[in-house]
Amino acid sequence: MKALYDGVTERQDGSRRETYLEIAGLGKHYDTPNGPYPVLKDVDLEVAAGEFICVVGHSGCGKTTLLNMVSGFATPSEGTVRLKGRPVAGPVPDRMVVFQGYALLPWLTVFDNVYLAVNAVNPEFSRGRKAQIVDEHLALVGLEDAARHYPAQLSGGMKQRVAIARALAIRPEVLILDEPFGALDAITKEDLQEQLLTIWNEYRCTVLMITHDIDEALFLADRLVLMTNGPAATIGEIIEVPFPRPRNRERILEDPSYYQLRNDVLEYLYERYAHDETA
Amino acid sequence: MNTLVNLEQVQKRFALPGGHQYHALDPIDLKIGTGEFVALIGHSGCGKSTLLNLVAGLLLPTEGIVLVDGDRVSTPGPERMVVFQHYSLLPWLTARQNIALAVNAVLTGLGREEREATVEEYIRLVGLQHAADKRPAEISGGMKQRVAIARALALHPKLLLLDEPFGALDALTRGNLQEQLMRICQEHRVTTLMVTHDVDEAVLLADRVVMLTNGPRSRIGSVLEIAIPRPRRRMEVINHPSYYSYRSEIIYFLSQQKRIKELRARSRAAVGRHGLEKVNLEIGFVPLTACAPLAVAKERGFFARHGLEEVNLVRETSWRGVRDGIAGGWLDAAQMPAGMPLWMSLGGGDAEPTPVVSALTLTRNGNAVTLHQRFLDAGVHNLRDLRGWITENSDHPPVFGVVHPSSMHNLLLRYWLAAGGIDPDRDVRLQTIPPAQLVANLRSGTIDGFCVGEPWNLRAAMEGAGYIVATDRDIWMGHPGKVLGVREPWSRNYPNTHVALVKALLDACRWCEDADNHEALRELLSRREYLSMDPSYIDLGGEGAVADVATGTTQKPRLDPVDAARYQCAHHRFFLAAGNRPSRTEHLWLMTQLARWGDVPFPRNWVEVLERMCRVDVFSTAARELGLDISYQRGAIDLFDGVSFQWDDPVGYLNGLAIKHDVYMAEVSLTRRDQAGPGVERAWSDVAAAA
Repeated sequence: MKALYDGVTERQDGSRRETYLEIAGLGKHYDTPNGPYPVLKDVDLEVAAGEFICVVGHSGCGKTTLLNMVSGFATPSEGTVRLKGRPVAGPVPDRMVVFQGYALLPWLTVFDNVYLAVNAVNPEFSRGRKAQIVDEHLALVGLEDAARHYPAQLSGGMKQRVAIARALAIRPEVLILDEPFGALDAITKEDLQEQLLTIWNEYRCTVLMITHDIDEALFLADRLVLMTNGPAATIGEIIEVPFPRPRNRERILEDPSYYQLRNDVLEYLYERYAHDETA
Repeated sequence: MNTLVNLEQVQKRFALPGGHQYHALDPIDLKIGTGEFVALIGHSGCGKSTLLNLVAGLLLPTEGIVLVDGDRVSTPGPERMVVFQHYSLLPWLTARQNIALAVNAVLTGLGREEREATVEEYIRLVGLQHAADKRPAEISGGMKQRVAIARALALHPKLLLLDEPFGALDALTRGNLQEQLMRICQEHRVTTLMVTHDVDEAVLLADRVVMLTNGPRSRIGSVLEIAIPRPRRRMEVINHPSYYSYRSEIIYFLSQQKRIKELRARSRAAVGRHGLEKVNLEIGFVPLTACAPLAVAKERGFFARHGLEEVNLVRETSWRGVRDGIAGGWLDAAQMPAGMPLWMSLGGGDAEPTPVVSALTLTRNGNAVTLHQRFLDAGVHNLRDLRGWITENSDHPPVFGVVHPSSMHNLLLRYWLAAGGIDPDRDVRLQTIPPAQLVANLRSGTIDGFCVGEPWNLRAAMEGAGYIVATDRDIWMGHPGKVLGVREPWSRNYPNTHVALVKALLDACRWCEDADNHEALRELLSRREYLSMDPSYIDLGGEGAVADVATGTTQKPRLDPVDAARYQCAHHRFFLAAGNRPSRTEHLWLMTQLARWGDVPFPRNWVEVLERMCRVDVFSTAARELGLDISYQRGAIDLFDGVSFQWDDPVGYLNGLAIKHDVYMAEVSLTRRDQAGPGVERAWSDVAAAA
């Protein structure tokens, strides 16, 4: 946030701003018997350090493909993804992904699931230090009492908190969230959104998050990236979310611009880029 | 409408290990008409699925009875089809075979060809021709749910029961299926009961939204009619003037349920000190310029100076929140619209009467009527122009936003319109919308105007959304705006605290009135915990403001809308000679207006009601102890139309009003609920007959 505003000021001064995450001319196609099938095309996006970005679009618009290229799980067909000026090549722990399906190992306890990640990234740390990191991050998501439980004993919301704790425990610079709250009920979802904002506030890592939920995006993000429909999807529009931080859900509902923004995004998704599964 | 589903006094308890019981549903009474679409909404664990399962026959009630089409429900049956979140398709059968299995099992009266034709018809209905021969694993979640819906509808059920059918789908697939479901229900007149926790889904689909309170012992907390015409289209629904007020009504209910424990925890035991019965107070307010005395009493230490050392100001977004806080007992006191103490005492909004008293008028003026910019372009400068516009455009009655039925804005707007020959219930539409949403609604064109307190009129003008067509000067100069309200039993239990509270707020009112403090006051009000907006939107008058224009003028020069908002408005007055004293004449006028528009009965015992409700004694004690002059003169109220209101004959006054709702009179008992039987005995009759 702050970095974003600093960046903008610097740009107005004419001096150069160092972009933190730069996506330039990015495209991805898959080869099929009928020739290449373009998923994404000409995606350009600059993200400042510490910024919170939500990517919104219909199913099949290539959102996940886009984030996979940022995380390094997928390689671009065209264009580049640069983090702090260096091209991204392959997944590394400075970009951590949290999936909707939690991806926890069912035979390990909550503690061991997180420990596994900490150990993989920081093998040189002493056991005590690694355990301390795990404890701290479980406390961060309010799960210190569930450390000895197995994933199957937890609710969906708790599992997702474990996944978030695991991602944060290795101190990523970029946190990539692929619809992390999509499978949760409304209340749990709201609680976790608030927790995520608190954590992001303390950590100030850069967040890229895919969501289908417009209210979630307006509550969390600094900017909304709206995708066009595939094939050859690209960024259709970028919306700045003006609500001051720290954010409060009720305050946002009081802000006249909330209703305008919400209707703009709905209009974008349901009128301009309407999408029917039957088609 | 015929009643298809009838739940009478339905309760459900589940046995727990160790002989305990979980009491899921308290007595529930609900009727669903044929062809109606009802949404059940509530938090997880509120028993909404239990209720659905009782109608489905998957569970049996512990007490009470569930009737569908007159028959008692005791088992599941194909005339009540359920669609679950998780599809329940057989994985080894194709979409077509899944549907055919149900059709063949249930529609045994049909021949084979007819059954096959039925299967094909419903595959087409949900648009699944291209996927009919695929197995569940080969199709998406949205398509699976369409198979489940087709299977349910193919059996021609009397009732479709949907248990969060789209909960597992992403929001956009969900959107498409909602539109499809709406079309099918509309075309086939299917009666539907749907469980959901998605507020937008409920408003889009339902005729009625039934809101359940949190368990255990869940009950129906509120029912909302969604009066949006059908057939509905999503974007049209979102742009409907009522959409966001319906939505905020439901969100308010749900967040209130979420906060309920926290709210109850607020009504802490009284901490007495310095001869005051209670110094720990929770005081409610709505962020408007008029909340200034409360903010100042807190921030400048006036509460503490009068011994109220533990005051917590509770910010509410709507007047509804203030009402519920006072009625529910988790607020000790609150800033209220002038009509709210009477409205609550007389059982407005069909609620149980809650006697509320007022010992202090906090503000006067500060209201205005704002119209959408296009009315200015159409040459509407005053009430007469507006009437002309309405006559010419009678097929498009304008929609006005007001913030609460009991607010001065609603009553002054109605008075103003009616005095100009415009019936506020017939010629225009009035819509209750929380203050902060008015400007957004005006800008998007979902409402044509509003009457509200500052800062919203100035803000609408500054943002180019609208202009002020009438101010307090044009309607009733010096009218009461906000008052202090407390429950009557509270006042009885904490008499010294009540006096101290009035003293602290009187001191604060005096501070607010002083123009030397206005800069500091604007800064204070602009803070995040109060109005949370740029101070340029907050205007308190002072220099540059038109000093005193004769009242009754409806012609005004064409000023720039922002200048007009800044300089022609009658700005808030916080402290005036005898201006803070609760006035029986004014409350009586409010009583006539509330009765005039059918909100409450006009009490036959109006003298008693006013004596009880207007706590002049508390005010006088407080003012005397502060050394203020408490002399006053009872006089008539002169409104802009030349009609004068006298204290002595309210019924005659009501009879003399040309435009009004059916007014009824009743003896209103102000005895506390726990001591009395029915609070109000309502006798419907014409005022003339009663008088």
